[in-house]
Formats: sequence, C-alpha cells, structure tokens
Amino acid sequence: MIEAEHLSKIYGSTPAIQDVDFSVEDGEIVGFLGPNGAGKTTTMRILSGYLPATTGTARIAGYDVHEQSMQVRQRIGYLPEIPPLYDEMTVEGFLFFVARIKGVSAGDRAPQVQWAIQRCNLQEKQKVLIHKLSKGFRQRVGIAQAIVHNPPVIILDEPTVGLDPRQIIEVRNLIKSLAGEHTIILSTHILPEVSMTCDRVTIINQGNVVATNTPDNLMAQLSASRGYELEVEGNAELVQPLLQVIPGVKSAEVLPQPQQNHHLIRITTESNNPDLGRDIASVVVKDTGLGLYEMRRTRPSLEDVFLELTTEEATLDLQETPLSEQVSLTSTSEDDSPESEATPSNSQPPSSSDHPTLKNDS
Amino acid sequence: MIVLANIYAIFRKELQSYFASPLAYVVAGVFWLISGAVFVFLLLSDQGILQEIATNEQYGVPMSPIDVPYIFLVRFLSVIGSITSFILPLLSMGLYAEERKSRTLELLATSPITNWVVALGKLLGVVTFYITLLVPLLLYEAIALSRADPPVPPAVPLTAHLGLILLAASLLSLGMFISSLTNSSLIAAILTFALIIFLGILDIIANSLPQPLGAILNHLSLIKHYDTLVQGVLDSSSLVLFASYIILGIFLTAQSIEALRFQRS
Repeated sequence: MIEAEHLSKIYGSTPAIQDVDFSVEDGEIVGFLGPNGAGKTTTMRILSGYLPATTGTARIAGYDVHEQSMQVRQRIGYLPEIPPLYDEMTVEGFLFFVARIKGVSAGDRAPQVQWAIQRCNLQEKQKVLIHKLSKGFRQRVGIAQAIVHNPPVIILDEPTVGLDPRQIIEVRNLIKSLAGEHTIILSTHILPEVSMTCDRVTIINQGNVVATNTPDNLMAQLSASRGYELEVEGNAELVQPLLQVIPGVKSAEVLPQPQQNHHLIRITTESNNPDLGRDIASVVVKDTGLGLYEMRRTRPSLEDVFLELTTEEATLDLQETPLSEQVSLTSTSEDDSPESEATPSNSQPPSSSDHPTLKNDS
Repeated sequence: MIVLANIYAIFRKELQSYFASPLAYVVAGVFWLISGAVFVFLLLSDQGILQEIATNEQYGVPMSPIDVPYIFLVRFLSVIGSITSFILPLLSMGLYAEERKSRTLELLATSPITNWVVALGKLLGVVTFYITLLVPLLLYEAIALSRADPPVPPAVPLTAHLGLILLAASLLSLGMFISSLTNSSLIAAILTFALIIFLGILDIIANSLPQPLGAILNHLSLIKHYDTLVQGVLDSSSLVLFASYIILGIFLTAQSIEALRFQRS
C-alpha cells in the first residue's frame, strides 16, 4: 500500500532523511519511531505529498506521491504534527468542511462526520468553537479530520501528543480498531505506543532507517540484555567465579555499593535455556550457602533496542535501563529453599506490553 | 462539478471566517462611519454639491444645467473607491498568511483540491464580504437619487457599482497573492497597501515617462478605468483590464503556493 524507496530530503546542505526505505502492507499499522529531529515529520510530509523528496520515490496505492499527487490526496487522511484547525469554526462545521474538500458526497457527509465524531469521542464538543478546546480535544479533532472521509491510508504524525493517559489509551484503541480496513503509518517518539499499537516498527535515527521489524523480533534481536539480577547476602565475591562458569552464562558481575552485606549480582546470559535460572539459584544457594533474597529476570525492552540502535556508543550499558518485569522471590533464610520456587518463570514469553514504565509524554 | 463544489466549500469557509472575525466587524463599522460622513459632507457641507449649486445660482454664474444626482454619484463613488484602498489590505491580508501561520495550509495542500480552486474560492469569499460592506451605501445612494427628476437611468449606478466591485476584486486578488508570500498578516497588509498606492499613482508616473512606455502604463491604471465605469461608461477595455488583474492575482497565488512546497524547511 505504501512503498518508499531511497527517500532523501535535503534542506540546504543538511540532510533531514537519507535513503529511507520501507513499505507498509494493506491493513497494517506501522510505527515510525525515532528521537526528536530524526526525520519522522519530514517522512510523513513526503508521504502526504506536502513536501517533495529531494531524491527517491514514494508510492501510495501505486500512485507516486509527487507526480500523481491528486490521486494520492484522495486516498489519504493526514494528521500533521500540528493539527490543522480553523479556530473560528465549530468542531462539526470544521469536519463538514474537511469532508467537503476531501470529496465526500453530499449524502454521505452527515453520517461520516458523525462517525468520526463518535470514533474520536467528540460528541460533547460537537458544537463548540475549536479555539475553546483544550489541547487534547484539538488533537482529537485533528485525528477526526484525518479519518472523516474514511481514507484507505491514514498518516498520523505524533497522534497522541498532548493527550492525557486515558485519552492516549483511547486513541491507541481507536488506531488499532482502524487497522484492517485502513493502512496506517504513525510516527512517534513514545516507545510503548509502538509496541502496543503497531504490527511493525521502523526505527529512524538522524535521517537513517536503522531497523525494521516487528516489535517482538526487535527485542529478540537484542539478546545482550537478557539475564538475571540477584540480591544475595554474604560474600558475593565468592560466588561470582562459580556463576561465570555455568554453561550459558556470559558474564556475572557484582555491583559495587552493597547495602548491609546485601550484594547485587548482575548476570547476562547467552542462551535461552529455561533451566538456567534454576542452575544459577542452585549455585548460589546450594554451593555457596549465600542467602538469596531476590532473583529476577531482566529482559530487553523496546527502550533498550531503541537506545542501542540510536546511540552511537556501543559501550552503552543496556542493563542500566531498569525495565524488567519483576518475577521476584524472596527466600528469607539461608536454608535450601525449594528450587522450583526459586526458579523464575522462564517459560513466560517476553512481552513488552506489560512494562510498567510508560514514558507517555514529553 | 467537483471543482465547483470545492470552490464553494472554500468560499463558504472563507466567508464564514469573516463573519466570525472581530477585525472584519471593526473594518465594516469604520467603513460605514466614514462613508456616511462622506455622504453628508458631499451633499450638505459648505463645499457640498447643494451649496455649490446654490452659490452658482446666487451669483448668476452662467452654467449649463447640471445633473445633480449624477454628479453626486460620480463624486461619492470616487471617494468610496479611495477609502476602499485603505480597507482592502485589511481584508486580504489574512487570506493565506493566517493559513500559513496556523499551519492549516498543510490541510489544504494535502487535500484533493488544486491551488487555483483554493485561490478562487478565497477571492470569491472576500469579494462577497466586500459586497456586503457596500449594501448600506446603497441606502445612502437611494436617498440621494430617489428625488432625481428625471430619474437616473439604472444602468448608470449599476455600471458604477460594477466598477467598484471590479476595482476591489482586482486589488483583493493582488492582495491575496501578497498574503500568500508571508506568514505575517501585518507584513501582507503593509505590502498590499504600498502596492495599492503605487497602482493609484500609476498614471502620474506614466505621464512623466517617455511616450510608448507611458502610454502602456497609463492604460494599466486601475483608477483611470474605475473612473470610466463610475461615469457610467461600460468600456470593454476596462472590463478586460480588471479581469486581467483578477486572473493575474489568482494565477500568481496558485504559483506561489505551489512554489512553497519546494521551499519548506
């Protein structure tokens, strides 16, 4: 549905995007993820036909966005970075106007406008002048104008900016519900948004596409930060060499600054061996007799992927990102606690949707 | 059909925005106040038409019988034409500058609607608003002309008002182009005002230029052609000139918006 090939846009001598390639299939939701200034908005604008690319081509439904702009414009709904709203109009009046210029036939206009108002939860603001609306409502009117003509392709530039957490969830649900019959491309710098709404992610940094994959695959790629974190009581230096020789363990390090003889040990693993946790616990508890207070798995999050891909220094310690689901257990004494209990639920598949830390907005 | 529907959509939106804008009401109020004062002054003041005739008769100055309603109409609309020059930049300044500033141009530029359709719709909107400004003036004129004996042939005021509207449409069309060049309404207004003054003194400039060039410039003078129409002379060359200005404005606007696509940063 959307194909972009070797898109570049150069402003003066500064490239905003370079050689950007991606495609979006029918009915797919693709997220365009990148830090501020990465070239997301530029890409969205090129796709909408608002900006011509310096080099490269983009096609929507087989039409070139620049050469066959009118055919493309008939097929897209576009929410720019700043919602294009006429302050002196009412929400309803504005949506009628948009429906008109998007070519919705006279008979379909009223039902289409009502449909958009309902989808975006704007019923109570229907007759209100746009300049009286709060930022969140303005954003929703912006989304409503992008879908009012029921276009096959929807381009959303930062759709959840300015919304409160409840509204963000609503908008995400709205976007998800539009998938299937609509092809959606959205840009965002908010990671959970991508993992929650998108089928695929394209990560862009400094104008270059650095990765394209499903959110799950991207996280699977990043095995480096897979591992465990242990809190032990006693001489941790003793157990460290023993841990390092367990097959599958890549490294084990004792973090400095113990608290009252409690040490944190961080282990990174190579393999996906589900028994590894049991082995580790066994070494700690049985072989050295240290008190095991907490043991939890650390998983790569999309944040890690993102940081790894968008940070040039490869030395970045990914494990500093404290995003890991706590599968914690605490053994209160030094006795041999049942290993089965001490084993974290390794079999649980990595999922990103339940990370508690949401950087919802900036 | 779709083109007409699109023009109508833009026209309607534009007209609505004038009726929702406090600026438009201020402009209308001041315009009506000044034109009312002009009306009274032209007819009744010491230098007014009625006094002039009375004086002439008193001193027995031999004069050809003058057509008071006609003289009034010509003078009144000439002055209104000049006042118009002051208010038109205020009406045209926001046509595109506001869209650029509030980023709504991005909506128009990504909708299936061509630049010239938008420009034409906007021009029709602002001209229509201007015409509504003229409605109260018709009342003044009706008062002045109602007692004319013999009555003024309707073709004369019709042509005169057509001239006024065409003059305004030409200047608004150029003003719209200037508005499309900037994000600032104020800059657009100032530049449009400067352009209107320039066009207003075009015939003065023309007279001081060597002949072939001077004659050409002289023919391009809007004021000269406006005066012809106000006098009730429906000259096709005047109509062509006004139409050329209007089309030029729309064409330049569409081109400038198209060029904007390539300049954005």
